[in-house]
Amino acid sequence: MLRDDIILKAVNLKKAYRVGDVVTWGLRGVNLEVRRGEFISIMGPSGSGKTTLLNMIGILDKPTKGDIIIDGVRVSKLSSKEMAKLRNRKIGFVFQQFNLISRLTVYENIELPLVARGMKRHLRRRMVVDALKMAAGDLTWLKKKPNQLSGGQQQRVAIARALVNNPAIILADEPTGALDRSSAKAVLQTFVNVNKHGQTVIVVTHDPEVANCSNRILIIRDGIIVKEEEPCWDKCIINTVK
Amino acid sequence: MMTSVVRGYGSYVESQLLGLGQNTVVVMGTSEYTLTRNDLDYIRGLPEVDVAEPFYLTQAYIQTKEGRKQVYVYAIDYDILNKAIGNLKLEKGEYPSLTDVTSAVIGHFVAFSESTGAKLFDIGDAITILMPQVKSGGKVTFTRATVRVSGIFEEYGGAMFVSPDTGIFLPEKSGKSILHMNSWSGIFIIVKDPMLVDSLVKKLRSTYAGKVDIIAFQQIAKVVSSITGAIDFIAFSTSLSAFAVAVAGTAATMITSVIERTREIGVLKALGFTDSQVMWMIIAEAILMSLIGGLIGVTLGLGGAFVMASRGLSISSGVSKLVIKAPPKITPELISYTMGITIIVGIIGGLIPAYRAAKIPPAVALRYE
Repeated sequence: MLRDDIILKAVNLKKAYRVGDVVTWGLRGVNLEVRRGEFISIMGPSGSGKTTLLNMIGILDKPTKGDIIIDGVRVSKLSSKEMAKLRNRKIGFVFQQFNLISRLTVYENIELPLVARGMKRHLRRRMVVDALKMAAGDLTWLKKKPNQLSGGQQQRVAIARALVNNPAIILADEPTGALDRSSAKAVLQTFVNVNKHGQTVIVVTHDPEVANCSNRILIIRDGIIVKEEEPCWDKCIINTVK
Repeated sequence: MMTSVVRGYGSYVESQLLGLGQNTVVVMGTSEYTLTRNDLDYIRGLPEVDVAEPFYLTQAYIQTKEGRKQVYVYAIDYDILNKAIGNLKLEKGEYPSLTDVTSAVIGHFVAFSESTGAKLFDIGDAITILMPQVKSGGKVTFTRATVRVSGIFEEYGGAMFVSPDTGIFLPEKSGKSILHMNSWSGIFIIVKDPMLVDSLVKKLRSTYAGKVDIIAFQQIAKVVSSITGAIDFIAFSTSLSAFAVAVAGTAATMITSVIERTREIGVLKALGFTDSQVMWMIIAEAILMSLIGGLIGVTLGLGGAFVMASRGLSISSGVSKLVIKAPPKITPELISYTMGITIIVGIIGGLIPAYRAAKIPPAVALRYE
């Protein structure tokens, strides 16, 4: 049994990639417990397995061995449909390249998780507006197409899309990687605010100034979490960028 | 388009033939056989025959304000004409008496211009008919006859044997006295019951052994029906090939679309869209694409069908030429059938790309560049 405050647990996670006869291990046995309301950063060099780990805990990919338990639900027991439902209800994703759908408006992009959930149109409006406000976005963007916004603005729309379903966990893969420092600060401020409201945030990053905004920094190398570091709030990008 | 035009011509020809009367048979004299009173008596004596009347028919020209115009001149009993051609009505005037050999009822497009609708002849007007005659040595001379307009028929439309709109109809006695024809062109027969047509035709063929032409409209209608049915089948077979091409085209387009949007599909899955939601989304897009194509196709097809039909189907035989202008038979069923096929094309064409999209693992799709 999981303790009630554990929102996510990874047990001996392994992921192998096979190319012909060659097997490469992306993850070599990751054990991780994340408490409800934590803000965790995962850091490590390129190819260390950060994104692979994020994909596993976001149920975007299946582990070769091991298991993931999200809010008490053992992922390995779920069907494809149940996994999609769990992703929709419990997890919000933020990507480095925003991954907004260019032919849809900002409003339509943000409401996508609600559409997947089958929510009626008239109920979606209020939730879309609230999510964009929470992501420090501007309501005048709603009718615009993503390419009419700056990178920082697009990332805030992507955060609003991740928040719209009020998920328990926000997973962000290099969310500031494509942004200038000022926009990166705004994004981190949003994550901190969201985390203060009780949502768990897990960020994969290269940037120590981003990692320092979290409660816990996990260092991953060669597919294993090798150590845990204490963040330094004074060195968080929110404080370093004026 | 093809189906509507073929069905349009088919139903037009059938309706015109059957409009002449399912129980109408015409025996036409030939160059090797001249119909005489003996033939008329023999035919009238057959048990299947209700009425049989001889008639004269010649092609001729008249002079109008618009120039020389080709017409068909009939000398025929008006009663049998009305029995043979249903719905033939007088627009103006009256039928002349049987003895009034110089009075005629004229067709609508003899009285009015076919192109402008302007009046060319009215009741009481005199029409000079020029009848060509080929003399020895191939020289053509014209015999003149002048008749007075006693009545004008309403517009009837094209017909396979009788052309009411371009005809001049005189009493039967006028054949000899006005048209100077020595022998009947044919004998119009009304059979007692349409069921007896086949038996009568069989008897006549047996008696005359190919010396005369026997035209049974019911039988022609059956032949036309079977020909249009065959053409319809060919059109259907052709449409099957078009169906296969359309399915392949839709599938190719959707596969390309799915490949181009792999990353987008990954995003949708990351946001919680299920495999079946992604699959239906792609199929719905394929159906929508097919429907747009179908609507454009139906619109162009309708235009093409009307253009083809407006040009008419030209049937020539020697110097005679008949142009059938039948509207394409476009029915709600035909349009529904076409749109139904279009939806099926969308579903079948979209199925494989949709399945492919649904089965892409989200992490793989998100990595796709």
